[in-house]
Amino acid sequence: MVLYDTNPKFSLMQSYWFGDVGDGHCTLFIGDSNAVIDRIRSVSTSMDSFIPLDWEQAVLCGACRDRADYLARLQALCIADAERSIREQYSRKDAELLQMVRTLDEIDNVINLLSERTAEWYLVRHPAFSRKYRRTPAHVLVKTMREKSKGALGSVAAEIEQLAETRATLAKEVSSRANSVMPNTSALIGGLVAARLLSHAGGLLLLSRLPASAIQVLGARTALFAHLKTQSPCPKHGIIFQHRRVHNAPRNVRGKVARVLAGKLAIAARLDYFRGFIAPEFLDAAQKRIDTTGRGSEP
Amino acid sequence: MIWVGDVLVSHGEGGVYNERMLGDSRVWDPFRSKLSALYYVGKGIELTHGMRVLYLGAANGTTVSHVADYVDVVYAVEFAPRPMQDLLEVSRRRKNVIPIMADAARPEQYAPLIEAVDLLYQDVAQPEQASIALRNCSFLKSGGILVLMLKTRSVDVRKEPDEVFKDTLAALTSARLIVQESVWLAPYHHDHAAIICTKPIV
Repeated sequence: MVLYDTNPKFSLMQSYWFGDVGDGHCTLFIGDSNAVIDRIRSVSTSMDSFIPLDWEQAVLCGACRDRADYLARLQALCIADAERSIREQYSRKDAELLQMVRTLDEIDNVINLLSERTAEWYLVRHPAFSRKYRRTPAHVLVKTMREKSKGALGSVAAEIEQLAETRATLAKEVSSRANSVMPNTSALIGGLVAARLLSHAGGLLLLSRLPASAIQVLGARTALFAHLKTQSPCPKHGIIFQHRRVHNAPRNVRGKVARVLAGKLAIAARLDYFRGFIAPEFLDAAQKRIDTTGRGSEP
Repeated sequence: MIWVGDVLVSHGEGGVYNERMLGDSRVWDPFRSKLSALYYVGKGIELTHGMRVLYLGAANGTTVSHVADYVDVVYAVEFAPRPMQDLLEVSRRRKNVIPIMADAARPEQYAPLIEAVDLLYQDVAQPEQASIALRNCSFLKSGGILVLMLKTRSVDVRKEPDEVFKDTLAALTSARLIVQESVWLAPYHHDHAAIICTKPIV
């Protein structure tokens, strides 16, 4: 179909969502919305020679009747496109793990807050009670409070115990999912901590793109920004402090161990994202290197 | 712009985000929306009926819904899936909101969808805010307007907001944009500035 005879503006072919326009001609693209979306995603536009589309071209092209029809069709298409992208992103294996580990950490928070508060309440009811000089673990204290308290206090304590059970189940699920979503990272640092790294990075893709130095201080944001803004020393470790090789290391080599571990984790995350299954030869070498760091026997 | 007394409002279907209503007008809260704050602290840009707007960083569609009440069409670009779910709900209820799930830093990916626009509005939390705006200027008609909501803390937390502000102004001017107005959005939003430019007519 001839649109404009001699308009130099259209001498260059432009691909739009409804078809191709160029040389005064318009080729209407025919297909269902999925086909149109695939086409839009595959079209490569160079912004240097790009000419924004003119909706009237779409009318002349036969893609729509008028402006209202043009917008309605474009909107339906864009909504379908976005819905598909969202589905694709949410169906990635790490999307649910992210929510799981964040829920887990939130439950921990809630349990701590509630236990502290109910302990204060319990102290008021039992003026002679004190936690000093008793090594009572929190869950034992909660159990005592449940057994010895009537009314709401007892049921809050029972609720905390219930929540702790849920927490244990969820922690197992997080670990086992982390093992399947990020096998190499989990093998190095454990499923739970690996999942926490994932949560802080915002996803497996983002984690795999982080440099080792960033992985090393993931979760130490306050300390890191304090360091960047003032003269305070830079943090040596964030979440990876939870790894036994880091927190068990003597203070003077702890930073070094953290650095080596972070380096190996960065590689592991990339293996997880791009390869997706376990790499035993890498893990053996990495584990050896982490274990020997700071012990004077490294190369 | 429509003011009821000294309250900025827009006319459209309410209940998008539990906004306050004054009669059948939707109150446009300057503490929630940077664009609204701009109208409170500075002159801003008169949104008119026939305007076509490209909105980068649409987020949950809160501000988008108000802009859509004023103009012909809003092309709303948002990258993250979570806010996109909300934005989709807004566009299902408003005929003139076109949701586009794409990265504003890569305009070539959504170029086939967008017509030339009168107003380019940008509110993205990225370090490269000036260059994202400049790349998207291809969609702007000559004589069109760019409203850049500069989040100085997203550019560089270590730099003083003032310094980031000056650097951004310099980057925009050296790309031959003409700066019309530049104001800080305090007390409504801290460390945020609005820069309004026009694209020269060629």
